[in-house]
Amino acid sequence: MEAYVLLFVSAALVNNVILARFLGLCSFMGVTTRIDTAVGMGLATTFVITVSSMADWAVGAYLLEPYNLWYLRTVTFIMVIAAAVQFTELTVKKVSPPLFQMLGIYLPLITTNCAVLGVAILLVEHKMNFIEATLFGFASSVGYSLVMVMMAGLRERLALADVPRLFAGPPNGFIVASLLALAFMGFSGMTA
Amino acid sequence: MMMGGIVDSSTDYSAPALTEGIAQVVAVEGDMAWLVPESGTSCGGCSSAAACGSKGIGTVASRLEQRRFQMVNDAGLKIGERVVVGVSENAVLRASLIAYAIPLATLLVSGGMAQWAAGHDFITMGAMLVGLVFGLWLSRVRAGQMMARGELAPRFIRRASMGETCNLE
Repeated sequence: MEAYVLLFVSAALVNNVILARFLGLCSFMGVTTRIDTAVGMGLATTFVITVSSMADWAVGAYLLEPYNLWYLRTVTFIMVIAAAVQFTELTVKKVSPPLFQMLGIYLPLITTNCAVLGVAILLVEHKMNFIEATLFGFASSVGYSLVMVMMAGLRERLALADVPRLFAGPPNGFIVASLLALAFMGFSGMTA
Repeated sequence: MMMGGIVDSSTDYSAPALTEGIAQVVAVEGDMAWLVPESGTSCGGCSSAAACGSKGIGTVASRLEQRRFQMVNDAGLKIGERVVVGVSENAVLRASLIAYAIPLATLLVSGGMAQWAAGHDFITMGAMLVGLVFGLWLSRVRAGQMMARGELAPRFIRRASMGETCNLE
C-alpha cells in the first residue's frame, strides 16, 4: 500500500508532468485563461490518460513484448491514444448529447497532447505491472489537472492586475509558470 | 470587469458567473431558434489542426455542426444573426464532473477492489470494464437530471457586435 501512495505522490507532485517533465505545455498555456475551461480540459485529460495508460500497458505486455516489437511503441501508442480519444468522444456523445455539446470541444485537443504519449512511454519503460501503470497514469493526470487549475486561478487574478503593457498576457503567464515550476521543485526528494 | 485598464467598481461579483461564447442562428422554427457555436480564432490554427483539418468529417466545421443547439427565440432572432450565449460556470464544472469524474471513479474503485480481492491482471481489467460501464450509466442518469432542470441549456445574453470574436476576454 505504501508503495502505491509513494507512486501516486511521485507521479502527481515530485515528477509533475507539466512542471518537472515539461510535457503538455501547449494546453498549459492555451487553456488556462479561465478556471472552468481548465477544469474541463483537466478532467477530460485525466479520463483519457488513465484509460489510454491501461490500454497502452495491455498492448505493450500482450502484443509488443511477446513479438519483440518495441521499436513500434511510439506509433502504436499514438494509435491507441487516438482510439481512446475517439472512444471517449463517442461515449460522451452517446451517453449524453447535452454534455457532448458543452464539453466535446476539448476532446480533439487531447489527441495531440504530448503528456498522454509521454505518460504511456514512461510507464512501459519503468516495467510497471497493470495496477501500477493505471495508478501512474491516473496520478500523472491528477498532477496535470492540479497545475492547470492553479495556473488558471493565477491567470484570472493577473488579468485584473495593473501590469506594464509589455508583460500583459503570455509573457506574464510564462513568468508565473516558471515561478510555479520553482515552487514544485520543493517536492524534490520527497519520495526518495 | 476591466474598462480601459481600470477595474469597474460597478461589477456585480455576487452574480453567477457565465461562460460565454458566440453562436450563429442557422434556422428559426416557430418560437425556437437553432444555433451553431462559432470556433475561436485559434481553432484550426493550433497543433491539432492537422487532426481536425478544415473540411469534411471530423473537422472543426463538422464538430461545430454536431454541437448545434436549440434556444427559445424570445429576442426575435433571424437567420444569420450572431449572438452571445452563456451557460453558468457552475454548470460547466458540474457537467465536467458528471461526464468524466463519475466513470473514472467507478472504474478505479472497481479495479482497486478486484486487485485487492483477486490480485490477477485479467480479473482487474474485467472489473474495471464493468466499473466503467456502470459509471457511464450513472453519468447518463445525472446528466438527464441536470438537463431536466434546464442547467445545461445555453441562455441568450445579447446580440454580438461587429467583429466580436469567441475570444471574449
